[in-house]
Amino acid sequence: MKKPVVSIIIAVVVIVAAAVIYYATRPPEAAATIKIGVIGPMQYVQGIGHWNGATMAADEINAAGGIQVGDKKMKIELVQADSNEFINITDATNAMERLITNDKVDFIVGGFRTEAVLPMQDIAMENKKIFIGVGAAHDELCLRVAKDYDTYKYFFRGSPFNSSYLGRTSFIHLGTVAAILKNTLNIENIKVAIAAEKAIWTEPMIKASEGVIPKMGMELAGVWRPSPVATDVTAELSAIQRSGAHIIFTIFSSSVGIPFARQAGELKIPAVQVGINVEAQKDGFWQATQQMGNYVSTLNTYCRGVEYNELTKPFVDGYVERFGETPTYTADTYTAIKYALKPTIEKAGTLDADTLVAILENASYMAPSGKVEYLKDENGNHMHELKWGPGNITALGVQWQDGELKGFWPNKWKAVPEAPEVTYKGIVPYKIPPWVIEAYKK
Amino acid sequence: MELIVFYLRKLVTIIMNEVIVLPSRVVVVVFFLFLLFLPVFTSNQYTLRIFTLTCIFAILAASWDLLSGFTGQMNFGHALFFGVGAYSAAMINLHAHIPPWGSIPLGALVAVLAGLIIGIPCLRLRGTYLALTTLAFPIILMGLVFAFPDLTGGELGISGIERITNSRVANYYIAAGLMFGLCTIMWKITDSNTGIIFHAIREDELAVRASGINTTRYKLMAFCLSGFFAGIAGGLYAHFMRIAGPSTLEVSMSFLVVIWAVFGGVATIYGPVGAVFILFPLLEFLRFWQEYRTLMFACVLIVILLYMPDGLFPWLRDKIETECPRCKIRNISSRTTCRVCTARLD
Repeated sequence: MKKPVVSIIIAVVVIVAAAVIYYATRPPEAAATIKIGVIGPMQYVQGIGHWNGATMAADEINAAGGIQVGDKKMKIELVQADSNEFINITDATNAMERLITNDKVDFIVGGFRTEAVLPMQDIAMENKKIFIGVGAAHDELCLRVAKDYDTYKYFFRGSPFNSSYLGRTSFIHLGTVAAILKNTLNIENIKVAIAAEKAIWTEPMIKASEGVIPKMGMELAGVWRPSPVATDVTAELSAIQRSGAHIIFTIFSSSVGIPFARQAGELKIPAVQVGINVEAQKDGFWQATQQMGNYVSTLNTYCRGVEYNELTKPFVDGYVERFGETPTYTADTYTAIKYALKPTIEKAGTLDADTLVAILENASYMAPSGKVEYLKDENGNHMHELKWGPGNITALGVQWQDGELKGFWPNKWKAVPEAPEVTYKGIVPYKIPPWVIEAYKK
Repeated sequence: MELIVFYLRKLVTIIMNEVIVLPSRVVVVVFFLFLLFLPVFTSNQYTLRIFTLTCIFAILAASWDLLSGFTGQMNFGHALFFGVGAYSAAMINLHAHIPPWGSIPLGALVAVLAGLIIGIPCLRLRGTYLALTTLAFPIILMGLVFAFPDLTGGELGISGIERITNSRVANYYIAAGLMFGLCTIMWKITDSNTGIIFHAIREDELAVRASGINTTRYKLMAFCLSGFFAGIAGGLYAHFMRIAGPSTLEVSMSFLVVIWAVFGGVATIYGPVGAVFILFPLLEFLRFWQEYRTLMFACVLIVILLYMPDGLFPWLRDKIETECPRCKIRNISSRTTCRVCTARLD
């Protein structure tokens, strides 16, 4: 009785081993399509965004006949790779290697967690594959391009713009809202409370905020650090109220963004919320906060009804129609494929990476999130870093107004006094919560 | 020429009398030959990457077994040694410009120091209390990593580290060679007098102390040895991945090591090594069904541990081999009498 069991187990082990070896070493299929690897945490909202954006771009391109490469049209074939990068960095690098070695992809888009994207970037560069990063914001990814161009020139930032610009944009939003409060409520000395989740990525932003806020002519009321997964933040909110803060500068990427907004609404804390609240970027925020998240604002990439240019509306509306939600910035795999790769390949007439890099790094093209151009460093070295600012990519300031997410920034924004004003189509005025008006109305 | 013939004959005799007679030894030889000739059969970079990482993690899993399996010092924070090895090797390479052949052993020595640092306060603790205390150490270290981002790279880790070699095949052979070498050393340690004392400490520490053996010294030695081997694995990992980041210190990494060891069979050395060679490639193989990959992995673990609570490899070994009740020599289970003393096998 025992021997058959042993035989079965040995047989299973042998079959599995043979299957693993076959599966890992099977020859690639003949290249009749342009293969694009989409890598990201596919079990999470970020990875789903990567995949949705890429499928939308591929479907649109394929429906139009494909990409013209020299004298032939080639269709796009997407290959999905779950990087599992939130849990396991090794897994992420294996997924990248597999995309390149086994799936034989021509290009790669995606990536999210910087610690994972750095080694993933190394693998793509070793194999001379163009990798458009859509998700990780850290400056280092593009600084590497400038430092060692020959090795890292195949990397381009797709979205979002780097963390330095993210911080800068948030401070502009803060200044904009502070000016509105000053003008509307005649508050002389605006006090700002920083509410940042207890996570390492918020540390440099807190440090920068502590330096920048006084320079902006505002008073720092204090820094509060709730847990990223806190479900009750009434203690922090009460303390913020006692501090006399008029503005709460939020730095949240985790679920704490929901209870913070909900309880601030329930307690009618007389301070407006501005900054980064990733939860408030999602369509489900209104329901999750039980309508108490009204008037909460955050930095965002896309917003229904707001158009950076004529390409924004078809993309956002098409995405909403197909996937039932507003695209997040990881869905910019759409831009990476449709507006970066396709025209570059068609212009070059080849899939040769070096030729494409030379064209793409000097390209200037319109995308649904603005005009894309790539920066050079102070020594003139290519960085493949997104150019931020009026005329290029700026992102949006968005605010929940009675159940709808509305864009409020840029609204007649001037980057420098002599620059032209920037206002996107669909931008509406910022609304101060009624209980804040009541608290400070003189 | 005669000398060569003599040694060849001796080799054949050893193979016939010592290897072929036991299935487990045949499996080891086949395993060795598989690893040796893998790059001959495939030059696929992805396959070689998977097996290189498998070899590195096999060293890590075996090092946990040396400490927790043999000595009974239940360590739930083994990622500490791995992370310290990885970070130290990375820093030494990046800041002191010492190449990998120097930075990896130096990193392992720093991991030994870490073994001493956590070994000393943990000496008074046993069982659950020791497990929970050791669990805390990598978390503390991660806090330090985030507290000194200029030195440790903070959330990003330390990247841009030198490769061991530029050839994937060479990297693979280095990892495989080190895995074989280090696991043999660990196995030899457990088979030595020191190993017997490690065993005894696990079974009855009071009795060992009553026998006049300084158990404190041996427990510290176990922490340091385990730290050294895990540190080597950490250094290899950092140089292979070209990054040493906070993920090397994550709790999930500590638990993964425990899962490998328990799956393969604790207090065996070969068990955790075999488990890594099954589970790590299996997880990659399951990529064809991404949504249920982790679930299927968990199901495999549960089924194995449900039916083989002592681990897969001890269970398999017991099925195909029998120990002689008289001379304790192992025989293939199909034999009715012992191959050495001819005693009847039950």
